[in-house]
Amino acid sequence: MDFLFSSFAAALRMIGDLSPDVVDAIGTSIYVSAVATLFGAFFGIPLGLVMGLAEFPLKRFAITVLNTLMALPTVVVGLLVYGFLSRQGPLGTLGLLFTPTAIVIGGTLLAAPIVANYALASVRGADQRILPTALTLGAGRIRAMGALVGEIRFGILAAVIAGFGRVISEVGVAMMLGGNIRGYTRTMTTAIALETSKGEFAFGMALGIVLLSVALLVNLFLHFFQQR
Amino acid sequence: MREIYRLHSIRHRYGAATVLDIDGLAIAEGRLYHLTGANGAGKSTLLNLLAFLVPPTSGEILYTGERVEWKNGSAETLRRKVTLLHQSPYLFGGTVHDNVAFGLAARGIRGEERQRIVRRALSAVSLQKFGGRKARELSGGETQRVAMARALALSPEVLLLDEPLANIDRETSILLETVIASLPARGTTVILVTHDPDHRKRLNGERIVLEKGRIVPPASFLPVS
Repeated sequence: MDFLFSSFAAALRMIGDLSPDVVDAIGTSIYVSAVATLFGAFFGIPLGLVMGLAEFPLKRFAITVLNTLMALPTVVVGLLVYGFLSRQGPLGTLGLLFTPTAIVIGGTLLAAPIVANYALASVRGADQRILPTALTLGAGRIRAMGALVGEIRFGILAAVIAGFGRVISEVGVAMMLGGNIRGYTRTMTTAIALETSKGEFAFGMALGIVLLSVALLVNLFLHFFQQR
Repeated sequence: MREIYRLHSIRHRYGAATVLDIDGLAIAEGRLYHLTGANGAGKSTLLNLLAFLVPPTSGEILYTGERVEWKNGSAETLRRKVTLLHQSPYLFGGTVHDNVAFGLAARGIRGEERQRIVRRALSAVSLQKFGGRKARELSGGETQRVAMARALALSPEVLLLDEPLANIDRETSILLETVIASLPARGTTVILVTHDPDHRKRLNGERIVLEKGRIVPPASFLPVS
């Protein structure tokens, strides 16, 4: 236990110092997570709404697939995107591998199913009278959908929060697609993995505390909007 | 008097169950109709069809003589002429004003004109001071009145009312009855679902009876004078 306590104390001291490496890792983590969540929401929210509202053949199967995608291992996503972005891959000429953009692409693939599933659950749990009410008041399909989204906005926000949580906490995609390049693609999670493997447990713990704090701050920020 | 609806060979099914089987029905403009029938007779389904919210499984509906097309946005256009008020209406989050203004915004009515219409509609249901109140904090009777104001604000050609007088206090019931009774004189066609014979007595109108999805007497057009 002494080891843990002393490491924790050392970690708090390191946070106080805030080395440029730590600041870079925090910045990269927040940037790639925020952008990936944004894209994840862009694709995931409409997908969840459509899956929840539309009737189509094999809908149950499609929902099962979407549920399964929530549990998609990050390294599998990393592997898949790596295949596309590597030099021999179909998108290799774009030169995106080992860049923050590559992490964003992988993060989007991780966040979108989570956001879609939460949005789907929100639509299914929504009051069944919302759409007929909007339609009978003369709203067109798009306005009626807007009204529905407005009414389930807390569920949608929860979807976005969950998507962000998934992206900022993952390590597989960031490691495989970002390459953990210091000052460029090193995120908090890859830095934790690296520092701990080097025996710098306290430094890893410091980053872990920062990671948790960032997640807490983002959630508090979104919670503030929920309350309004 | 103009015929506003004409239904031909309407069948509507939920899965294997036929819930509506109407050979013919005509509804005249500017009249009040009482739609009655036991639970499960198909009243709400018929209202949903007349509100153009769902197409019938088969058959055709004519609105002011024009055949209703369910694609190409035709139903969407017609929905702006017909408003359905549900038995337990849904009020959107936000204020009473937001709710009453919802349909007006959908029609592109803005600014002072919208404010004026909202004020007038709220006044019609004696809620002129409720504009700023949160819709979700209203009592059942107030909710029903706001929903009525929201419908009145749109000045629909047809107002479909699915038991709006059920489960509300007497004062609200009398108020809404008065509002409903005044509508046909302004040219609004009203189709009111009610189980209460007293409402039918006080609100003079014609009666449409549904029994197991069929109009009673069967296969007949109600006379249109």
